[in-house]
Amino acid sequence: MILTFKINGEWVTQEIKPSLLLIDLIRDVLQLKGTKPGCLEGECGACSVIVNGDAINSCMYLAINVDGKEVTTIEGLENNENPLHQVQEKMLEHGAVQCGFCSPGMVMTTKAYSDKCIAEGITPTREEVKKSLEGNLCRCTGYAKIIDAAEAVYK
Amino acid sequence: MNFDVISPKTTPELLNAIYDNQSKNFRIGAGFTDLINQFKAQETEGLILINLAQLTEVDFKKISENEINFQIGALTTASELIDNKSIKENFPVLYQAANKLASTQIRNVATVGGNICNVSPSGDMTAALIALKATCHIIDCDGNERKELLSSFIRGLKKTSLTKKELIKNITIPKNFSKNIKSGYEKVGSRKSMEIAIVSLAYHLQMDDKGVITYAGVACGAVAPTIPFTTSACEFLTGKNINDISDSEKEEFAKRVLSYANPISDIRASDWYRKEVLFNISKTIFER
Amino acid sequence: MMKVIGKSHQKLDGKERVSGKAVYGHDIELPNMLHGSILRTKYPCAEIISIDTSKALSLDGVECIITANDVDVNNIGYKKDHPILKKGTVNCNRDEIAAVAARTKEIADKAIQLIEVEYKIKEGVYDPFEALKETTPRINEFGKGAEQFGNKNMAESFHYEHGNLEEQKAKSKVIIKKRYELPRVTHACIATSNITAEFNNFDGRLTLWSSTQVPFLYQRDIAHALKMEPSKIRVIQPIIGGGFGSKLDMHPFEPICALLAIKSGKPVQILYSREEEFIASPTRQPMVIELTTGCDENGKFTFREVEIIKDNGAYTSWGATTPFVMMQSYSSLYQVPACKFDSHAVYTNNPFAGSFRGYGNPQATFSIESNIDLMAEELGMSQAEIRLINANYKGEITGQGLHFKTCGAIPALKTVIEKSNYDKIMATPNTGRYRRGVGLGSMLHVGGGAKIYRSDGCGTTLKIDDYGYLTIVTGSNEIGQGSETVLAMIAMEELGIPKEKIKVINTDTDVKPWDVGVHASRTSFVAGNSLLGAIKLIKEKLSKKAIELLDVVTDDWEYANGMMRFNEFEIKLDKVVREMHFASPHELCMVNYFYEPPSKFQDKDFKGDVSGNYAFASQAIEVEVDTVTGNVRVLNVHVSQDVGRVLNPVGLQGQMEGGLATGIGYALTEEMIYEKGVLKNPSFHGYKMLTSTDMPDVHFYPIETYDEAGPYGSKGAGEAPLIPTAAAIANAVSNALGVRFYSLPITAEKVLRALASPTPPKEGLLREAKPVTKHQ
Ligand SMILES: Cc1cc2nc3c(=O)[nH]c(=O)nc-3n(C[C@H](O)[C@H](O)[C@H](O)COP(=O)(O)OP(=O)(O)OC[C@H]3O[C@@H](n4cnc5c(N)ncnc54)[C@H](O)[C@@H]3O)c2cc1C
Ligand code: FES
Ligand code: FES
Repeated sequence: MILTFKINGEWVTQEIKPSLLLIDLIRDVLQLKGTKPGCLEGECGACSVIVNGDAINSCMYLAINVDGKEVTTIEGLENNENPLHQVQEKMLEHGAVQCGFCSPGMVMTTKAYSDKCIAEGITPTREEVKKSLEGNLCRCTGYAKIIDAAEAVYK
Repeated sequence: MNFDVISPKTTPELLNAIYDNQSKNFRIGAGFTDLINQFKAQETEGLILINLAQLTEVDFKKISENEINFQIGALTTASELIDNKSIKENFPVLYQAANKLASTQIRNVATVGGNICNVSPSGDMTAALIALKATCHIIDCDGNERKELLSSFIRGLKKTSLTKKELIKNITIPKNFSKNIKSGYEKVGSRKSMEIAIVSLAYHLQMDDKGVITYAGVACGAVAPTIPFTTSACEFLTGKNINDISDSEKEEFAKRVLSYANPISDIRASDWYRKEVLFNISKTIFER
Repeated sequence: MMKVIGKSHQKLDGKERVSGKAVYGHDIELPNMLHGSILRTKYPCAEIISIDTSKALSLDGVECIITANDVDVNNIGYKKDHPILKKGTVNCNRDEIAAVAARTKEIADKAIQLIEVEYKIKEGVYDPFEALKETTPRINEFGKGAEQFGNKNMAESFHYEHGNLEEQKAKSKVIIKKRYELPRVTHACIATSNITAEFNNFDGRLTLWSSTQVPFLYQRDIAHALKMEPSKIRVIQPIIGGGFGSKLDMHPFEPICALLAIKSGKPVQILYSREEEFIASPTRQPMVIELTTGCDENGKFTFREVEIIKDNGAYTSWGATTPFVMMQSYSSLYQVPACKFDSHAVYTNNPFAGSFRGYGNPQATFSIESNIDLMAEELGMSQAEIRLINANYKGEITGQGLHFKTCGAIPALKTVIEKSNYDKIMATPNTGRYRRGVGLGSMLHVGGGAKIYRSDGCGTTLKIDDYGYLTIVTGSNEIGQGSETVLAMIAMEELGIPKEKIKVINTDTDVKPWDVGVHASRTSFVAGNSLLGAIKLIKEKLSKKAIELLDVVTDDWEYANGMMRFNEFEIKLDKVVREMHFASPHELCMVNYFYEPPSKFQDKDFKGDVSGNYAFASQAIEVEVDTVTGNVRVLNVHVSQDVGRVLNPVGLQGQMEGGLATGIGYALTEEMIYEKGVLKNPSFHGYKMLTSTDMPDVHFYPIETYDEAGPYGSKGAGEAPLIPTAAAIANAVSNALGVRFYSLPITAEKVLRALASPTPPKEGLLREAKPVTKHQ
C-alpha cells in the first residue's frame, strides 16, 4: 500500500504493509527513534506524536491513516534557529527530565495542548494542565516538575 | 498483525466494501483504540479491515441539531464531543463521560460509534447515551436504514443487534424540553485518570421551572453484562421535586438503581464493592 | 562561598533526552542484528516432559533456538539457585524454557508459539507459610535451606539482636503487637528491559549493551554464568530508561541473549514487551511482618521484636539481602534500647522478588510507624510528641553500632509537624462525605553507601586536554537520577571549568575504572568523593606546573573561568596543560584515583557502622477519604529530609517528588495480583501507577547537617523519599476514619469494607486497633 504524508514538514511517499502501526512506521521504517515505545497498548503516552495538530498515541494508530495528513514527531521540533522548542526549554529549566524515556511523549502532548491554548487564547489552570498530561506516565519525576514546566509554557 | 485494509472514502464505496466481503472475515474499524489491542491478541492473517477513518461523508462525522433532536455522527471522536458547546450545555452527562474517557491522545481518536459497538459494560460514552435515551441510526449494504433505541440495540455482553451487513451511521438524542437540568457522570476508579470504570452512573434529569422532575434518565455502568437504563428508579423520580427529595427517597432511589446491578468480581473490585459504591453514589447525585 | 554547589543546574545530557536524541537500548540497531524472544512456561509449577523445537526451527527467518540441553552454563543469582534455562522442572510463571533468534521480532514471537512443550502440571506452593511446613515438597532443587537453616524451603535467614529484651518488656507500660502484610509491587520503568549482545568469533569477546546498574558486578556474573573470563566481556550502558533497583540483579534474559549471539554468530537484541516486563522483571519483596513494640509510661520506647516471613519466590536474588537494611530500621530508627529481629525468606512458586528503591525499608518503616501511632493512642500521648522524645540525635551510637555523626531527625520531624499543621488537623473532628486526616512517618537509611560487597568504592580518571576541556571518566553510572550532573557541578566548583567544557564518560567497562554500581543511594556520595580525590591530585599537578611557569610559591590557587589565580598572578588553565604536554617533562594532564568509603563490614552479629553517614527524613501527609467510594486522595505532602547538604536543588527536588509518587502508589493503588502464581494484571491498565492528576503538591524542606564524610557535607538522598510514605498515609487514613489498615495497598474496597463492617467506625474501630498484648 502506498502512503503519502507529511512528516516533520516534508512530504514523503512510502510503500507500507497495510497493518503497519504508526509507531513502527516512525521508528523502524523512517528510523526516527525519538518516539518511544513504553507499552504499545495506549496506556503510557511515550509514543505520542502530533497528527494534524492533535496528540495521539502512535502505537494505537494505523499508519495508513496518516495518508494526506501532517505528522510531527519529536524530531520535527528542531530547527536551525532553535534546536529546542520552548516546551523543551521549560522542561529542562524545571528539571522535568530524569531518565527521559517519557520525555518525548510529554513534550509532544504539551506542545499540542499549548498550540491549542494559544489558538484559543486561553491560559489553562494547574488542574487543566495536569489533566492535559493524564495520558503520559512517568515513573521518575512524580510529574510535579513536568507540570511546572508545562505551566511555565502558558505564562 | 497482518491484515488487509480497505479504506472507503464515500458511503457508496463503504457499502460496496461491506457487500463485497460478506463471505469473508472482515471487521469495521473507526478509531482502532479497541480493535488494535484485539487484533494483537488474535490471528489476523486473511482478515479484512474496512477502515472508516478516511470516510469523508459528513453524516458520519458531524454534530448537528434540528427541532427534535441532536445528531452525532458515529465517527465523532470523544474530543469533538467535548469541544462542542451545545453538547456541553445541553448534555453535561455526555460531556463528562467523554471527558473522563482515557486520555487526550485516546479521546482524539476514540469514536462514539466504536464505544457503542465495542459493547463494553464500562463504555463511558455509551452509558451517557443510554441515560439520554439515544437512538442508533443503522444502514446496511443493501441500502436499507433502520433505527433502534440504544438500550435495545445492545443485546448482551459483547452483543448488538447489528448484522454482518450493517453499521451505525449516527446517533440521535432527543432535545431537552427544559433548560432546568441536572446532569452528570460519576466514574469510580482507583485513580483519577486512565481508568476503565469500576462503577459508573450516568444521570440526566430535566425539571420544570418549579423543580419538578419531568424526565429522568439514569444508567449504570460496569455492574451488569450490559449498561441498564434504570427504568424503575427513573419512574420513582419523575414527578418529585428535585429540591426536596428526602433522605428516605434518596435511599429508595438508590435501592432501585441497585436492583439493576448484577456485577461480577474481578481483579479490580468485588461484586460487593461495585454494589456498595453504586448504592452510595446514587444517593449523592442530589447533593450537588 | 560556593559558586556552583547548592545552585540548580540542568541535567548534563538533558538536551539529548528531551529532544529524543538520547540512545536507549530500544534504539540500538546493529548491522545484521537478529531479534530474540523467550518462551516462558505455561504453568508456574510443572515438570517438563519434552520440548520440541522442530516446527519453530523450520519457520522462515528463524536463525537459532536454544534450550537448556544446548548450553553449558552455570546457575545464576545471589544463591546460584537459578538456572538460566529450565529443564526438568519449572518453578514460577516467568521461567524461561527456550529462546529464539530470528530476523524480525515478529518471526521470533511466532517461532516461540511453535515450540511444543509437554508439561506435567504440579500443585504449586504460593504461600510462604505453607512452604515452611514439613509436608510441603522442596521447591528449589538448588536451595540449601535444609543444611543452612533447617528447613528445605528456607532461602535465606537473618537473626539480629541487641539489648536486654526481657528487662525492657518488663519496663513497658504499653505493648503493641501487630501483623502487617505487604504486597508485591514492581518498578514499572517506562522503558522495558532490553539487551543487545554481539560476539566476536575471532577473539572470543562478548559485547553487551545492557541497562544494568552494576556493570562491574554484572560483568563478573555474566562471565560466571557463561563460563567465560570476565575481562572478555565488555558492558556498554546505553541511556537507561529507569532503574530503581530493578537492574541490580542479572536476569536470565541477559545471558540468554549472549548465548543466542554466540550461537548465531550475529548480534541479537531482546526487548521486553510491557506484558513481559510485568511478568518477568523483579518485584519488591512481599512479606508478613509481626511486630511487637513497647514503651514506658513516659512514651520512651523500650523494645522492638519482629519476625518477618518474606516470599522469596522461586529463586533468590539480591533482594534476599534486604534484611540488612530492614534490621537497621528496626534496631535504630528512633532510640531503641532492645531489639530482636528475625527474618526468613521462603521459597514459593511465585515469581522471585528483587531489589527495589528503599530495599526493604518501606516495609519495615510501615510497620514501625504504624505501631508508634498505636502506642501513642494507647498511652493517650500525641503522636508527634512520642516521636520527638524518641527521635535519633547527633552523636548517637545505636544498639547496632550505627554512629550518627550528624543527625537531622529532630529538625525534620519538627519541620513537617509545623508546616503541615499537624496538631490542628489531628484534632479537627471529621464528619460528612470527605474525611481529612494527617499522618506522620520518619525514616532512617544509609546515606553514604553500604558495604555489602568486598569493595564499596569508585574509581575516577580525570583528563584535561590541551584546550582546557575536562573529561571525567567515572566508574559510577547514570540511571536518570542525575549523578552525572552532580559530578560535573563538583568539577565546575573545584576547577572553575565551565559546564560546556566538561564531559562525563561512564558507560563502558572497557574504559572506565571500577565501581560497585548504583545502589544504596551511594552514587553522589561515593563517586563524588572519588572525584574530589582525583581533583585534588590534578590540582597538585596543575599547581606544580603553574608555580614553575609563573615563578611564584603558593599552593593556594583560585580556579575560576578557566584560569588559575593567586594574588596578582594568573594563568590560563589550558596554557598550563599545554606547557605540561609540550615542554619537558612532557606529561599529559591526567590522574587516577580510587575512593573506598570508610564504612566497615558489619561483624557476624550484623553490628558495626555500615555506612559513611546516615540520612533521616520525616513526612507529614494529608489525605482526604471519600466515604462514598472509599477512595483515598493524597492532598499534601510535607517532607523534610536530612540531606547533609543540598548539591543540586532542582535535581534533589525531582528525586523527592519521583520517590513520593512511587511511595503513594505503594500505599494506595499498586499491587501485582496473582492467582496461583499467575499474574492477573500484567499491564499499565491493570497495574495502577499514579497519573499526573493524582499527584499531590509536594512541600520539601531540606535539612542541612553538613556531614564531613560526604562531598561538601552531603548525604545520599535517592531512596529516602518513598520509605516513610506508605506509613504516613496509613497513619493519615487512620486519623481520618478512626480505622487502621495493616496491609497495603489501602484500596477503596478495603476502606469501604472497613466502614461498612458491623462495628461502626468512630469509637468502635478505634478500639479494634488496640493492642493485643498488654503489660500493666
Ligand atoms: C488506553 C485505553 C484507554 C481506554 N479508556 C477507555 C475509557 O476510559 N472509557 C471507555 O469507554 N473506553 C475506553 N477505552 C476503549 C476505547 O477507547 C473506546 O471504546 C472507544 O470509544 C472505541 O472507539 P474506536 O473508534 O477506537 O473503536 P474501534 O476500535 O475502531 O472499534 C471498536 C468496535 O466498534 C466497531 N465499530 C466501530 N465503529 C463502528 C460503526 N460505525 N458501526 C459499527 N461498528 C463499529 C468495531 O468493529 C469494533 O468492534 C480505552 C482504550 C484504550 C486503548
Ligand atoms: S507506547 Fe503508546 S501509549 Fe505506551
Ligand atoms: S523521566 Fe523517567 S519516566 Fe519520566
